[in-house]
Amino acid sequence: MSASAKTWLERIRALPLDKADGRPIKIMNVCGGHERSITMAGLRKALPDTIELVPGPGCPVCICPEEDIFEAIQLALHEEIILVAFGDMLRVPVNVAKAEARTLEQAKAQGADIRPIASPTEAISIARDNPGTQVVFFAAGFETTTAPVAAMLAEGVPDNLSILLSGRLTWPAVAMLLDSGTPGFDALIAPGHVSTVMGPEEWEFVVKDHKIPAAVAGFTPESLLAAMYSTLRQLIEGRCFLDNCYPQLVRAGGNKSAQAHLATTMQVVDANWRGIGIIPASGYQLAEAYRSHDARERFPTYADDARKRAGEMPPGCDCAQVVLGKLYPNQCRLFGTACKPRNPIGPCMVSDEGACRIWWSAGIREPAAQEEREETLA
Amino acid sequence: MCLGIPMQIKSIENYTARCEAKGVSRDVSLFMMQEEELNVDDFVVVHVGYAIQKISEQEAQTAWELYDQMLAADS
Ligand code: SF4
Repeated sequence: MSASAKTWLERIRALPLDKADGRPIKIMNVCGGHERSITMAGLRKALPDTIELVPGPGCPVCICPEEDIFEAIQLALHEEIILVAFGDMLRVPVNVAKAEARTLEQAKAQGADIRPIASPTEAISIARDNPGTQVVFFAAGFETTTAPVAAMLAEGVPDNLSILLSGRLTWPAVAMLLDSGTPGFDALIAPGHVSTVMGPEEWEFVVKDHKIPAAVAGFTPESLLAAMYSTLRQLIEGRCFLDNCYPQLVRAGGNKSAQAHLATTMQVVDANWRGIGIIPASGYQLAEAYRSHDARERFPTYADDARKRAGEMPPGCDCAQVVLGKLYPNQCRLFGTACKPRNPIGPCMVSDEGACRIWWSAGIREPAAQEEREETLA
Repeated sequence: MCLGIPMQIKSIENYTARCEAKGVSRDVSLFMMQEEELNVDDFVVVHVGYAIQKISEQEAQTAWELYDQMLAADS
């Protein structure tokens, strides 16, 4: 840990942190990258017991609706297309009968032409290289990832490329938690790269409407600790404001050109989150002028409305609770037993941004005691 | 998926920049950087092949130290 990270830790330790009710102060993060840094740097152990760090809705792969993944699998299996998707999506399981393809990876093994990509520009190249074939880009992600998809569309895409869009906005999930009356956290670390693109102002509602301290953080332990220190001081002093602890990248107003591409090519709509349900104004859909590139219009629909109800997490998987910060990863009964990165049961163990996967990578291998689980759920 | 990686611009052609980090070079789209003046040798944070923000050299260095630690921890 760097000298400045140690200094921040000492500052936090010097704060009067005991709450009257004896419950720990919970600080939530909503970014897989933050959770990864926190876990890898061992910040939970380094901080006083009075502070708990809760991973929240920070994994777009984990909340990508089951019916969207099912639709991508069916399209790839039944249409003469090339399906491209960010690599993380390939191993996310859906709930189907044993003999059927559970993941895009399994559909690929059954002969579907499915290719992992690392950038929207690769989708363009593949479409250009295969002019006689329809290419479908299954694009799931939060704002940071959806903005490049918007930029790709705005710049112009080949006719044979269409998008199966599953983009989501981060802040509405936090708004939903706060509106529920039992948010499960006392302070918020706002995401660094989402704020870089969309502007930190998006998170003002947390402090203004809910009087919950918030700070935008970068990905170094110092930046995260500085943000934690800021929110703790805000809490102690009873004075909330949105702090920016990542000024190197996060600037007022965010990236205007990215936002312009999003506004031109997409609309914000109510959207389903896997295991969670519909969150108002939390998803992207292609704007009218770009509908001709909407895979949902171009191909017969394989979306099955019944799945929207059934589209939960796999049986026994607590991913939805983990994503909402209601349970810690190791409090899922399957963590480290039936569910491991090699044989993931739920999406949180698949994605690099899934809290289960991150905790596993950091060496946490055993499920927590049942009492701990009950305590957290209480 | 939301983690950007700092890279240095080596050449620019229209909206595409050849960028380098740790000896690896990649084509990076500058289509989301139209508000920003960018030059060869500048550093940008790249996410899924698109530059999302300009960054100082020193910041790029700090970010790389962190990613190195994470990658080491992961392998
Ligand atoms: S450990 Fe596996 S089964 Fe449990 S919540 Fe995480 S992903 Fe789901």
